[in-house]
Amino acid sequence: MSTLDTIIIDGLAFALPMFIMAIGGIFSEKSGITNLALEGLQGFGAFCGGLTAVLMLRSFEGSSQIPYYVSFIAAIAGGMIYSLIHVALCIKFRANQVISGVVVNILAVALTVFLAKRINDGVFGQPSNKFVLETSVRFSVPGLSRIPVIGAIFKNVYPFEVMIIVIAALMWFVMYRTPFGMHLRACGDNPHAADAAGINVNRVRTIAVMISGGLSAIAGMSYAYSITSNFSPDIFLGYGYLSIAALIFGNWSVLPTLGACLIFGFARSSGQALITQLGMPSSYNDLVRILPYLLTLLLLIFFSKHNNSPRALGEIYDKGKR
Amino acid sequence: MSDSGYIIEMKHITKRFPGLIANDDVSLGIRKGEIFALLGENGAGKSTLMSVLFGMYEPDEGEIFLRGEKVRIASPRKATEMGIGMVHQHFRLVSNYTITENIILGSEPLKRVLGFIPCVNMKKAEADIAALSEKYGLKVDPKAVISDLNVSTQQRVEILKMLYRDAEILIFDEPTAVLTPQEIEFLLDIIRGLRDSGKTVIIITHKLEEIKSVADRCAVLNRGKLIDVLDVATTSTAEMARLMVGREVSFTSDKTEAQPKETVLKVEGLTVEGEAGNEAVKDVSFEIHAGEIFALAGVSGNGQNELADAIAGLKTAVRGRIYLNGTDITDLSIRKRTEAGVAYIPEDRHNVGLVLPFTLSENLALKRYYKDGFSKKTIIDRKAFEENGTRMIEEFDIRSSRGNKTVTAAMSGGNQQKAIIAREIALKTPLIIFMQPTRGLDIGAISNIHKQMIAERDRGAAVLLISLELDEIMDCADTIGVIFDGRINRIAKASELSVNEVGRFMMGVEDKQGGGTNKVRTGGTAS
Amino acid sequence: MKKLIVKLMGGERFQTMRVSLFCIITSLIVGAAILLAIGKNPLAAFGNLLQGSGLMPKSSYAGRQNMFTDFMSFLDALTPMIFASLAVSAALKAGLFNIGVSGIMLASGFTASVLVGQSELSAFIAKPLVILIGIAVGAIVGALIGWLKYKFNINEVVSSIMINYILMYIITFFINTFFVDPISRQSKTITDSARLTLSGTRAFDLKFDVSLAFPLAIICAIVIKFLFDRTTTGFEIKAVGLSRKAAKYAGMSVPKNIILSMTVSGALAGLAGVTYFCGYFASIQPGVVPSMGFNAIAVALLGNSDPIGCIFSSFLVTVISKGSIYMSSQQGVEMEIADLITSVILIFTACAEFLKMYVGRLSMEQGGSEEAGEA
Repeated sequence: MSTLDTIIIDGLAFALPMFIMAIGGIFSEKSGITNLALEGLQGFGAFCGGLTAVLMLRSFEGSSQIPYYVSFIAAIAGGMIYSLIHVALCIKFRANQVISGVVVNILAVALTVFLAKRINDGVFGQPSNKFVLETSVRFSVPGLSRIPVIGAIFKNVYPFEVMIIVIAALMWFVMYRTPFGMHLRACGDNPHAADAAGINVNRVRTIAVMISGGLSAIAGMSYAYSITSNFSPDIFLGYGYLSIAALIFGNWSVLPTLGACLIFGFARSSGQALITQLGMPSSYNDLVRILPYLLTLLLLIFFSKHNNSPRALGEIYDKGKR
Repeated sequence: MSDSGYIIEMKHITKRFPGLIANDDVSLGIRKGEIFALLGENGAGKSTLMSVLFGMYEPDEGEIFLRGEKVRIASPRKATEMGIGMVHQHFRLVSNYTITENIILGSEPLKRVLGFIPCVNMKKAEADIAALSEKYGLKVDPKAVISDLNVSTQQRVEILKMLYRDAEILIFDEPTAVLTPQEIEFLLDIIRGLRDSGKTVIIITHKLEEIKSVADRCAVLNRGKLIDVLDVATTSTAEMARLMVGREVSFTSDKTEAQPKETVLKVEGLTVEGEAGNEAVKDVSFEIHAGEIFALAGVSGNGQNELADAIAGLKTAVRGRIYLNGTDITDLSIRKRTEAGVAYIPEDRHNVGLVLPFTLSENLALKRYYKDGFSKKTIIDRKAFEENGTRMIEEFDIRSSRGNKTVTAAMSGGNQQKAIIAREIALKTPLIIFMQPTRGLDIGAISNIHKQMIAERDRGAAVLLISLELDEIMDCADTIGVIFDGRINRIAKASELSVNEVGRFMMGVEDKQGGGTNKVRTGGTAS
Repeated sequence: MKKLIVKLMGGERFQTMRVSLFCIITSLIVGAAILLAIGKNPLAAFGNLLQGSGLMPKSSYAGRQNMFTDFMSFLDALTPMIFASLAVSAALKAGLFNIGVSGIMLASGFTASVLVGQSELSAFIAKPLVILIGIAVGAIVGALIGWLKYKFNINEVVSSIMINYILMYIITFFINTFFVDPISRQSKTITDSARLTLSGTRAFDLKFDVSLAFPLAIICAIVIKFLFDRTTTGFEIKAVGLSRKAAKYAGMSVPKNIILSMTVSGALAGLAGVTYFCGYFASIQPGVVPSMGFNAIAVALLGNSDPIGCIFSSFLVTVISKGSIYMSSQQGVEMEIADLITSVILIFTACAEFLKMYVGRLSMEQGGSEEAGEA
């Protein structure tokens, strides 16, 4: 396989989960709730999914794909439930949404590590904070994958990448074509207008944050099945924050955000390819890992000045305000 | 079913808020097909009463009967279902949505994609809106985006929103506050048309002429209590005013003739950028003399904010010069300008004029905290803050629960404004800018502020008054300038201009004496 | 119940403090519930926390150790926590969230370890130098975050997190490549003369650690308190933090104050870094961001971002984290339960404003009903 193929394959595998997480962020922020909690949501989702997979693998044969898909469903459910903490803090208890996001993230680390240790100790009888997963199987599309360069898109694809693309398209439709999407965007621009039109602002926002929880969990689970090949505290590497940077850079709309995610993904994979090509020691990988973060900062420098964040973003909606 | 002929009856409505009773045992009946006005000062409880009717608040006591049946209106949604619609004073529009999207929001027509996926039928919606606007003579472009529209068109969208939902009872909260006289006439015509097509209209207002011109009956509220319900045709405006304020009022302010002296502020060819990078103020020139009130009239959003901010230094000028007493201050920082002699009462007292979580004494020292007497070598003198606060609180009658220590966020709007004005006047500067100084205040507070403004003029200050309220401009101005689309298209002595002339210039009619033809420019309010 | 809440937290006197206390106690109850759920005795576990921090005697001690040595070691852990929480609160005063404390700690700790920690300098020169380097490195990174904020409008939360990871990976690279100790897999241990903790001091038949920087932490808290309460600079920073527009209108320089507060915050975070990595510890573990930087957010919020409040809240959180080691060994509970309790405290603290509002409304209602009762 050529280096270019590797760059494309690895880049997509990194970028697409980030993209679905960023879509979750867009849902939340377009409804008016700042969501720094993506990091914690993806981690908690990965925890739930990882646990489910490990438990199921004991009763299914090694080749069965059922645990793989069930673990994604469990991750989504876990992410959505865990996002209710952000909902409660932001909507019910009217906390500062930035603080709430940070708190939810800190709790996610503490809670998942604690639970993982306890469960490993209690159920599996081994002291560890990891759920070891197999790296997901991959497939290549016959024919298409033989096309030079572009064919790499169809080569060694993780099943979750397909899932993400389908869900992303669906989410785009929900956001821009359905009544719910229209209500959601209205809540983020002028919640008073939405309220006057008979829309329950807090309900819409609750659903939006839960959607972000579910989508982030897909991302977390995808990373657990690819980059880390386990659930461990290593899942909290700031990818959630990177996806926030991606959506800011993408100006809160879906397609430009995809572009941002792809840039991060390819920056990362080409850096790693470079290290391999030059035959440098593995410790140099740490230098390459900086790339997505550094790129984020640089891109933000150029794109933060005139962004169109949703007008009511971060404001606590107070209906009874006189 | 009662045969009283009332479509709405509100009986013994009482609504309390922490610290005040907004509605105190109010009972009203409104007939089908009439225009009913609610008259009262700011804070009289008109808006609260209508918010109760529209389901935004639930009354603490009392009952509402709709078409003879007792109803509980728990939410705006319920109210809409019952055929009640309301245009709020601050429009409830989604700024980045089109007119159609705004109107259908919450009751979208659907179509099924692939037979089952629900999706908004935008084509049908746009056709519906076009038909509706045709029917009621409310012309709008269904595809225009709200943020590109002027206030009067936005108001039309709000009216269409109610009609789209088949509202029978239409409530207007202070609908004319932000319109020019000509736009007001147009609106009142629409309202009459709505009545004639069988709708019931309720207008909340404190403007007597409008009631006289459009309403059939009128209820007067004062401090939460219903004073009387009047037949408009047989009642004089003077009588209505007396009932509204609770005492005799004189309509003329006792202002002496201005004694203008030397030029204090001179603005030359000033151009300022707006938020969106457009030219919000274009090549504006004018002068203000010591002892003169220069009032700038204009419809909201025609560059007034940018002009005031540019003079005070909050915005930088793209082109042009600003001179204060002959010195060029165009490139000075905000602080240097304050020290050179510019005081500024900003429009937004919550976000700009005050640091709301600060205490009153801190806010009263906000422009002088670094000076000798307030601090020594950067160490703050708390005692000096308190003494300064106490002095101003007494002199300007600023009322609050804990005096100097009150957090300004907890103060009433009127007292917050008093605090800002006190602080700015105490700077004793040659130029004072009053930007919308009386917005949202009651009549007592308004006349007080007007007196202070005139007193400052008589002290010898140059006063720049920027207001959207034409009454205020006509009452206070010595000289009137009218701004439209970033240009001042008329400057004249107040005595030489009538209300209607000012109104016409506010809509962009070229000044004949300026050599231009008498035409309406695009981008104006006419459509 | 409602009456009780109003009685406990109503009124204005020390309300903030009472609300904080309420949050802490509720969190401890939640923590106790978790401990009960996993079959442990919460009272014993909480007692272990105090014992582990040297605030309560243990049943037995190893040679040359007693409660005093535990307490001295506790102070050693407390010192960087005070600095870190002061760093967060200094930024909070200007309305900024400095989440970059962790990265700054790493950067200053690493720089000092490399420049001074391996040198032959005498203690009198090395120790002040370590402190100065900590301040300088922290101030530079802090100022950078502030500059990005005002110049490019980059959300400081996002930028400081990016900077955290960038610094972490760079430092990991350098440690692994140039400064690694082959046995411990950590960075090379610094010399005793550079270390801000006198490790293994012997007196009264005891062997204990002395945190030389602890008095400095207390002095810093007082200085910061004075800065914000009594100086025009503090007045300006607070105004900028509460309302950018109003501050600008009043003629204050918003950029200057944003950068200034982030510089102060960074310098304090730098001090946290050197007292942590060149004091409490003497080496750096590569590949990890110190969690203290994040816990400091909790601590600062709990202390109502008041410098003196930070001392008390640091004390509490350090008792939990430091004592958790002993608790873990005594009760057989995962050490992470300490982080869990800290996060629960943080959740309740995030609701503190709501609590105050809620109490205000309740007391208003009760006041109202009492009047009605009299009439």
